[in-house]
Formats: sequence, structure tokens, C-alpha cells
Amino acid sequence: MTFSLLHATDFADRLLYKVIPPLKAGMIVLADRYTYTAFARDATRGVDRHWVRELYSFAVQPDLALYFRVPIDVSLDRLMARRVKLKFYEAGMDLGWSTNPVESFRLFQGKVLEEYDRIVGEYGLEVVDATGSITEQQRLVRRLVSPYVSKLPEEPTNDAA
Amino acid sequence: MTPPDAPIEGANGDMQPGRYYGRGVPYLPINGYPGKLIAIEGTDGVGRTTQIQLLREWLEVKGYGVVETGWTRSPLMQPTIELAKSSNTLNKLTFVLLYATDFADRLEKEIIPALKAGFVVLSDRYIFTALARAGVRGIDRHWLRNLYGFAIAPHMVFYLKVDMDTLIGRVLESRGMDFWESGMDLKHGDDIYDSFRTYQNKLLREYASMADEFHFRTLDGRRSIDRIQEELRRQVAAFLESADKPVEPAEAALAR
Repeated sequence: MTFSLLHATDFADRLLYKVIPPLKAGMIVLADRYTYTAFARDATRGVDRHWVRELYSFAVQPDLALYFRVPIDVSLDRLMARRVKLKFYEAGMDLGWSTNPVESFRLFQGKVLEEYDRIVGEYGLEVVDATGSITEQQRLVRRLVSPYVSKLPEEPTNDAA
Repeated sequence: MTPPDAPIEGANGDMQPGRYYGRGVPYLPINGYPGKLIAIEGTDGVGRTTQIQLLREWLEVKGYGVVETGWTRSPLMQPTIELAKSSNTLNKLTFVLLYATDFADRLEKEIIPALKAGFVVLSDRYIFTALARAGVRGIDRHWLRNLYGFAIAPHMVFYLKVDMDTLIGRVLESRGMDFWESGMDLKHGDDIYDSFRTYQNKLLREYASMADEFHFRTLDGRRSIDRIQEELRRQVAAFLESADKPVEPAEAALAR
């Protein structure tokens, strides 16, 4: 619960200083993780799903939310290839499900993925298959994003000249 | 946004003492815990801390185990809250969430374990302080009460009530008016005295509006320390004796 609220506090601060002002100025805000991360992570840690959704009801609803989905083994392989040690909380070691970090990660992140699947339907997230190549993913992302970007006002033409 | 007349989920006065107000902390079931939670509420300068000290000593002499907890006292959050208050970057929403985080930490780490172990928990301020402060700052009432749905309804809530003039006298006599106690963040004006008056008046109204709903036992905070303490002891004793007597060593031996 404390973990959840600590993240919510951080989120509120960033929302008010880093997200809302640029939105008001008509800019595009790219958020690396959003409230959905909290929904998935907190529910996995045993926080009430309804409560955490209400908690974050002060957040701005994104115009588009992308969910990059990978199977547990792929994400483990990628992490292990990059660094030696899994992070304590990332592996859900605080839950005490396993003393083995890799096993704990598998159990914890497995549950997190189940929560994400629930959220995808609930909030209409666009799923991107993240097992594909970066180029493939980026092409899909651009296709998904373009309808929103094209709605932006055209650059002013040089009529005055 | 929820319509104003919708039933309030979360912190509301219908909840039984010792139970969660709302959805609670699902992984920490608290039903049947033997401890008792007693909250002392009141604005700044009403003598809460003094009363709690005296009550604690008296309870301990009577054989109760006592744990104290107080607003913003969690080791995790206190430095952060102090830091945030000292700068000008604190938004009211962030403020509310910082307080809630502090409370959650103390709930999980201090209050619930103490209740489980059968302690009397004396809480110097409780969620009503948060509800009052946030209410004055215009935070959505439904959202706020849902937020504090993880709190436990205390067995007793004492509210030390004072009038504005007494309050002002006491605060000026002790440490003077400070920025936050005067609600200067609400920008009622540059004058700290006027701002203090306006802000604390609003707080008193918020407390008054909660008094019935949350079954406050209101005590006249203008009376002497001893008189207030006497009344506190009388009510606490009556409650604890009716709830569960501490097992005397002799009785425990007989029971075996």
C-alpha cells in the first residue's frame, strides 16, 4: 500500500509539472510507462484493483496507449543479456515468493503480465508484439500514432511574405 | 466525476471500530485483532501531544502496552515531507498523496502490527486531519475518502475543540504562526495573522462537519490540561474495561 502511494505521489508531481503544462501548450507528451504500470504492479502486490484505479482518477486519459507485449522468457533473456543482476523490486523479491531472483522474477512478472492482459481490454490499449524486430515494431507504432498526429494544426504557411 | 449524492465509498462513519473503512489493505486482514486504536484529533496548539503523553503513562501503569503514532512521523516519509514543505514546488494534490503515503507506511509498519499484538495505539492526529486539510484545499471529497478507504476506523476518536481566539493565543504564546499552519499556500493574502484566522476557521468548520459522522467525542480544549486528562481517562477506562481487561498474571495462572 505504501509502495503504491509512494509511486502515486511521484506520478502526481510529474503529471502536474511535466505532463499537463506541455499538453496545455499543445505539445505531444510521450510517457514511458503510465498509470497502467501502477494498476498492474500494485494489483500483483495485493492492492485492491478498484481502489488503485480510483486513486489514479486524477490522471489525464491518454489519447493513445501502447502496450508492448513479450512472453516472460523473452523479457528475462533480454534483461539477463544486458546486466548481471535483476533489480530487487523488479523481480518482486519483496513478496518473498522465491529466494531465487530469476524464479521470483518469473513468478512476479508472470502475474504482472496477467494483470496487463486484463487492463488491455479494460482501457483499450493498443498491443504491439514486442518479440518482433525493432524496425517492425516501429513501423506499427508509427501507423498507430499517425492518425493522432495528423490531427495537429498545419505549420503556418508563409502567407504574410 | 461521481455525483455528489452518490453513497461514499471508503472513509465514512458507518464503519465499525477496528475494521477498515473501505477496501482496506487486502493482504493484511485485521479482523479479530485484540489491540485498540484511539485517535486524538484537534487543530494545532490544542495540547494533543501533552494529553497523549499523560494518557500513555497512565495506561502503562495500568498494565496496557501502548504504542504512539503521529502524523508525518513515518521514518520513510518524514524527511521528504519536510523537504517538500520547505520548497515552493508542492502542489496540493502531491501534498495530499505525501500525507497518505506517510499514513500508509505507519499503518502497515506500526499500527497494524501493534493492534495484532494487542497494544493500545494512541494516534496523535488521524485521517481526519488529512480530510480537513484537503477539504479546505478543495480536493474532491469522494476521491479523498476512497483514498483513505485503507484506513482503520478507530475505536475512539477524541476531538479537542477550541475557539479561534483561544487557538490564536496559544499558538502565539508557544512558537508563533508558521507558513503551513496559516494556510499561506492558499494565498488568502500576505498577512499571516489574517491568513491564519481564515484558514484555521475553515479547518474548524471541516472538523465540525465530521464530528457527528465519525462519532467524535468532543472535549472542550479550553479547559485545563488536568481536567481534559481526567475526562480522557474516564472515557478510555470505561471503554477498555468493557472491551477486554488486561489479563492479570494471577488470573492467567488460574486459567491454566
